[in-house]
Amino acid sequence: MSGEASGDTPTSDSFPEGEPRPATYYHLARAVLYREYLIFVRYPANAIGGIVVALFFFGVLFYGGRLLAGQELADSLEGIIVGYFLWTLSVGAYSSVSNDIGSEVQWGTLERHITTPFGFAPVALLKGIAKVVRTFLTSGIILAIMLLLTGTRLSLDPITVVAVAGFSITSVLGLGFAAGGITVLYKRIGNWLNLLQFGFVALISAPVLDAPWTRFLPLAHGSALLQRAMVDGVRLWEFGLADIGLLVGVAVGYLVGGYIVFSYATRRARRLGVLGDY
Amino acid sequence: MMAESVATDRDKGETDGVADHGTASDDQAEAALAVEGVSKRFGGDENGVLAVDDVSLSVKHGSVVGLLGPNGAGKTTLIKCALGIVIPDAGSVRVFGTDVSAGRRAAYADVDAMLEGARNDYWRLTVRENLRYFATIHGIDPDSVAKRHERLLDRFDLQKKADTPVRELSRGMKQKVSLASVLAGGAELVFLDEPTVGLDVESSRRLRRELRRLADEEGLTIVLSSHDMAVVEAVCDRVVMMANGQIVADDTVAALLSGADRDVIRVESTDIDDAVVATLRRLFDVRSVESVAGRTRVEVAAAGDVLYDLMDTLRKAGITVEHIESVQPDLEEVFVNLTGMGLDGEDGSRGSP
Repeated sequence: MSGEASGDTPTSDSFPEGEPRPATYYHLARAVLYREYLIFVRYPANAIGGIVVALFFFGVLFYGGRLLAGQELADSLEGIIVGYFLWTLSVGAYSSVSNDIGSEVQWGTLERHITTPFGFAPVALLKGIAKVVRTFLTSGIILAIMLLLTGTRLSLDPITVVAVAGFSITSVLGLGFAAGGITVLYKRIGNWLNLLQFGFVALISAPVLDAPWTRFLPLAHGSALLQRAMVDGVRLWEFGLADIGLLVGVAVGYLVGGYIVFSYATRRARRLGVLGDY
Repeated sequence: MMAESVATDRDKGETDGVADHGTASDDQAEAALAVEGVSKRFGGDENGVLAVDDVSLSVKHGSVVGLLGPNGAGKTTLIKCALGIVIPDAGSVRVFGTDVSAGRRAAYADVDAMLEGARNDYWRLTVRENLRYFATIHGIDPDSVAKRHERLLDRFDLQKKADTPVRELSRGMKQKVSLASVLAGGAELVFLDEPTVGLDVESSRRLRRELRRLADEEGLTIVLSSHDMAVVEAVCDRVVMMANGQIVADDTVAALLSGADRDVIRVESTDIDDAVVATLRRLFDVRSVESVAGRTRVEVAAAGDVLYDLMDTLRKAGITVEHIESVQPDLEEVFVNLTGMGLDGEDGSRGSP
């Protein structure tokens, strides 16, 4: 019906009650984000469950560590909280994107997104952004409770935290797209790829000072910047241009790379005839 | 970018570098769907399956074409090739004149499909939310087609459940939601795979009426695959019969039925034995012999005075006829005659008792 705008379709009476207006990317963004919002508020059990589990593991880490390490843990507690905050963000972004693609396959809705006139890329990206927004909300709650539980104070400049953490987990979104693509192609591997999220711990705690090359890995450089921002109170505009450039470069690089893997995998799935077959 | 509409991209032929669709009058002449020499093989050479074998097909605007054939005939693969969900090994697919390999986004701007029956929507959203979401995904501002959505809800008897999450509906209702959401974005060409599965008799009847109305009054082009003969016969302008990946017949329902074997007379009796069957075979054109619930059922081609001659022969043989009827040929009969197999994929020939 979109052709009605240009009058190039012969059956323009499909909407006898009036002129249909073509949807813009604004409408697409609104639809995708609103769907995410509806599911978030209508089915809060998933989000609450995720928060409870995350806090449980943090409780084990905090109270267990205090018993075992005493003052040493207290000295590094701020860093642990920041790292844990970034880890919950990363797990949320990664699993929601990779699982979402797998779920769309199971629900039989992936095909409808593949044939959308917007193209799958903008739809998938918007869905990823919606997941990240949701993950920020839940991880923000987790962070607040962690700070209350431990009596810790951190610098929480919203612009700096959102920008640095956002770019950090953008690289993870790329990994999520790659994993989602592999799931489309090899359905049974999907669950195994979820184990990759435990590898994020290593990336978040990568020794970027001793091994500078690790800054090119997902999360590593962003984690180091987030530590400086939240623990040392460095503002976004106080970081060097090279630091910001590398943060953005790594984010975009992995996102584009992940999407290329996803595109290749879905194309191969279409060639093999397994797209959507579950 | 944000303000630029998808339709504008498509109409200008800029998206994916596709060609322009041409003028409205050109499009009238252009087929809604043109499949040329499409083949698709799954798997390697030895264990592979040739799912679609050099199939060509053209579907006119506003027509309803039914794909008929047993499981494995290639219907779904052909539909998926047409939708770009499966990439064919050979051949081309044009949708509203646009080659899908050159510009998928533009080609599918006016296309939607229900391939997974009730599994085609977001079950956690309400019925109305699904219509709005999928209208947007298919390039239409949902506010501008709100009345259409209300009409779809009315026509599919979903108005009372419009604000109910789909997961809480029965399977039949889910199926209707699925179909409504396919129509929500005003697609010009829709593919429906087994659209009546899960529907009760009344819902199926209403759906058939609605599909026919959409084609007749709104110019919707429909390609549907179904095992439901009632749907195919009542809705389709044309039937494409497929077997082993190939098209074995492509014509109107009336033409296919007229070309079929004439009516048959079906008699059933517990007295009919091999000797009687042999006599009947000698005297009549026996179409089939089978055992049904302890009786022997014989079908004889009807022509001239066959009914009287048949009754006479049976009476002379001392047979008590327990059931007799005249049977009109149907599309399944046509398919069996053409391929030697039934629509269930089994051998269509019937054995002796």
